[in-house]
Amino acid sequence: MTESISYGDLVAQIEELKVQLLESQNIIEAIRTGEVDAFVFKNDDKHEIYTLKSADHTYRVFIEKMAEGAVTINSEGIILYCNSSFANMVGLPFEELLATFFVDHIPEQYKEVVSRYLMEGWKKEVKAEISLVSNQKSTPVLMSINEMTIDEGPALSIILTDLTYQKQVQQQLHDLNQQLEQTIRERTNELFRSREHFKFLADNIPAIIWSANANGTPDYFNNRWFDFTGAHVITSDSFHSSIHPDDASTYMEDWDRAVKNGTSFQMVHRIREGATDNYKWHFTQAIPYRNDNNDLVSWFGISTDINEQKLALEKKDEFITIASHELKTPVTSIKGYVQVLQYKFKKDGNQEAADMLQKADTQINKLTGLITDLLDVKRIENGQFRYEQVTFDFDELVREINEETGRVVKTHRLGCHLDANCFISGDRNKIGQVMTNFIDNAAKYSPVGTQIEVETKVINNCVHFSVTDFGIGIPKEQIPNIFDRFFRVTGDKPNTYSGLGLGLYISSEIIKRHNGRIGVESEKDKGSRFYFELPV
Amino acid sequence: MRNKAQIIFIADDDEDILHILQIMLRTQGYLVQGSTNPHTLFSLEELPDLVLLDIWMSGADGRDICQTFKKNPATSHIPVLFISANSGIEEIAVNSKADGYITKPFEMVELFTKVKSTLEKVQELQ
Repeated sequence: MTESISYGDLVAQIEELKVQLLESQNIIEAIRTGEVDAFVFKNDDKHEIYTLKSADHTYRVFIEKMAEGAVTINSEGIILYCNSSFANMVGLPFEELLATFFVDHIPEQYKEVVSRYLMEGWKKEVKAEISLVSNQKSTPVLMSINEMTIDEGPALSIILTDLTYQKQVQQQLHDLNQQLEQTIRERTNELFRSREHFKFLADNIPAIIWSANANGTPDYFNNRWFDFTGAHVITSDSFHSSIHPDDASTYMEDWDRAVKNGTSFQMVHRIREGATDNYKWHFTQAIPYRNDNNDLVSWFGISTDINEQKLALEKKDEFITIASHELKTPVTSIKGYVQVLQYKFKKDGNQEAADMLQKADTQINKLTGLITDLLDVKRIENGQFRYEQVTFDFDELVREINEETGRVVKTHRLGCHLDANCFISGDRNKIGQVMTNFIDNAAKYSPVGTQIEVETKVINNCVHFSVTDFGIGIPKEQIPNIFDRFFRVTGDKPNTYSGLGLGLYISSEIIKRHNGRIGVESEKDKGSRFYFELPV
Repeated sequence: MRNKAQIIFIADDDEDILHILQIMLRTQGYLVQGSTNPHTLFSLEELPDLVLLDIWMSGADGRDICQTFKKNPATSHIPVLFISANSGIEEIAVNSKADGYITKPFEMVELFTKVKSTLEKVQELQ
């Protein structure tokens, strides 16, 4: 239950509160205007005194605590006030600094300039970098001078900012810069050296080096090109104008095709030797260069002088032509006499002598075959191998070849499975030559008395011819080279098997020219299966 | 028609080959005259029915001999066969207007066939 309060009491309480409010407002006003600096408060049981610190105390604390040195001097240059940061900077206790000349605490070498700055400071703000010394330790500082008015009259405020850290950073920055510059100098040198090295290399290499843009237009030639052709400038026509007229159209066609398809380029052609109007054979190779996005960016090419080699090759070809002719002449005589004798013995009923002469004739044919192979290779290489085009019964040809070789290959059993039953178009004699080569090889590389299987069939519009033997086979590593020129399967001992290593090379060229495919499946010591396919 | 033996003239600078060709062709009933000097061809008393001509001969080129022989209207109808070990014989035969060729070394049977068919072809034309 609350005690009831009378109206008169309430009025008295309100009056009391009004007085208290007024008092409070007066105190706040006094504090605000600085009229009072202490209060006595009356609590319930005792009195308590609260003092107000002087008005600029906050600023003094603030100034005292800051990292910058702060100094106030009067018009005579005497220190009126300074903070402890400044005392630290000059290495003296705070008390010893008051009422001394500011300039006295400045190192000798700065005294004069600082005096001048102080004079200027009365007129305008001055900023300058100097050093202060404390215990022989020098501190770089930024000195900022401003004029101001205090109770004691006009004064200068001096703020000194320690620049040690900035200076360190600046120094580090400077050092890094120096390092960077050094590195750049080194790299530039390296680049220069490598460019010089490249130029030296490119200009002294015994070949023509060039590059072309993505469109195939030449944009660089080394010195050798200019020296050789006598040209002075690079033009889009540079290649064409220097290449032998007989080679130029093929060259440009092949080059345009390579550029269009982005495939590598190779050609043997003649380049005009500028001053003399002589042409020299060169072998040119070029490869496309692609960037990371696989875009063709440029072409790099090299043209090597192969004139001597080419002429030597021509000499070799000429030699082969003459040699084969000269070899064939005595062979013709021998063969002729053998045949005449055979004819006479047969007529006289001396079958034994006739048979012996037949064997001699067979050997002569082998010799002729070897000479012909040499000539064929020369012709293949020079593109002079002539092909006739006739349509003929494929199995019929195989039967003929089997009959012919059967006479020769008496040492093996010849099995025949002819199932092609078709006509094909091509050079009958040369395709027959391939068949003979396969059968001869099978007999040569398999033991006497073993089986040789000849097979024909049609698969997917291709006529398929194969000869299988059960002989020495071909070591796996030799299979990829088996159709190479002059390649011979080697047994355990060298020269175990006779031959020039031309038969399969010629065969593969013949089949290729008929748009066919030639191949072999073989296992060492098991046997081989040689085959070719021709489009029907 | 064949009441008279046909005459074959052979020019080859290799005496052995010349000898063999003569022996072989005589077995077939031809009248054979041979010489290591091809120019003999132009001074024959009686014109041959066929000429067998080597290409590379010492002191003479079968191609020139053939062309001269074929240019002469009196002899242009007489067939000429090259018989040579020369590798380009086929082309040479065509270019020199020869009627055919036989490659050395040759099979006797092949020689007979070629000679016979060439002579028959000429007779057909006549």
